[in-house]
Amino acid sequence: MPGLPPGATAALKSSAFQAGATVCGVASAAAFDAHAPAGHRPGDLLPGAASVVVVGGSQPRAGDWAATSPWVLQTMGTTERIQSVGRKLAQQIESQLGYYALYVPPGTASGDTPFLSLMLAAQLAGLGSRSLAGPVLNREHGFMYWSAVITTAPLETDTVEGESACPAPPCREMWERERTTPCLKTCPADDGGCLAGTLEHGRAVRTFYDAARCNTRVHTHWVGGFQKVLEETLNETDRDRRKMLLYGDFFTRTLWAITYSSTNIAQCFECMRVCPAAHGLKEMK
Amino acid sequence: MGVFRLDPAIYNRYKDQVLKLCNSFQRIDRPGLSDRQIAEQLGLDERTVTEIRCVAERDCYPLEEWEKAIEFKRKATLEWSALALKRPDLKPK
Repeated sequence: MPGLPPGATAALKSSAFQAGATVCGVASAAAFDAHAPAGHRPGDLLPGAASVVVVGGSQPRAGDWAATSPWVLQTMGTTERIQSVGRKLAQQIESQLGYYALYVPPGTASGDTPFLSLMLAAQLAGLGSRSLAGPVLNREHGFMYWSAVITTAPLETDTVEGESACPAPPCREMWERERTTPCLKTCPADDGGCLAGTLEHGRAVRTFYDAARCNTRVHTHWVGGFQKVLEETLNETDRDRRKMLLYGDFFTRTLWAITYSSTNIAQCFECMRVCPAAHGLKEMK
Repeated sequence: MGVFRLDPAIYNRYKDQVLKLCNSFQRIDRPGLSDRQIAEQLGLDERTVTEIRCVAERDCYPLEEWEKAIEFKRKATLEWSALALKRPDLKPK
């Protein structure tokens, strides 16, 4: 098989930036083996996978973060913008380089799990690192959305970030004062939230995460919420009370969200909203 | 022939063990296992573990927790708006 032309990786990244990506990196497909169990690696989706191209961007703007309604961040659908960049790169790899390219679908595979962990892919492509709250944060741009392409093309890979964006200096100072951080304070596992953690030698260490409760917040008006109301409705013997559930605001909002599912998948941003490393508190007029 | 349907008795017998072993409740000293790994440990097949996990994850919290999520987000959003926009009047009561 002929190799890649010189500068192929750089040309691909240039295309990603032109298409709207804020960051772009490449991970070796083999790098996933040490972190992802069998069945969740690039080669499980595309046999012969050599590289994973990851793009990030489409961050919410300062006005989105400052909005008074939690539904703003849930419905603006910026994930779609970065997904289109991923699709474009997959097309380019196949048409210009002649290698297989599989755009990683943004939805879930069977078992309610992603096809491939985009956050792990972003980390291995050197684009960011895990925050105490969970999402991968880029050191320069903070919180962003991700898209990835698995390919058999042996692209030049990037190195994993040495230093992480989390904890940010204000979080270290807060920890010294209050033994908590903004994300832990807003969603504490010991007070009805999802997160627990500590800072050790300036590093953030997550000690506990309640994914099931996080699901009630991230997918409030999505598949989980739909199933819970449906179950409640089926168990309700009174016809009028059934109607109140089905015609009520919760179920109606859920149906709207599911109808436009690709722009409503993430529905809780509170740990990121208060995170200085995610977007900072930019002064706007 | 219908869709794969989990036997409720199997679900009730294994749901706590599956939840403990998977990624639903993550603890620093105990990385979550994949469905395949859990199946090997419990002597079940992978498909059964996947079904147990999917049902159990939805079963963890009652519908009230979804309602609480709405209030949590409404309050947290307004608190941040008040801080970011320097508008203390926006703070939730």
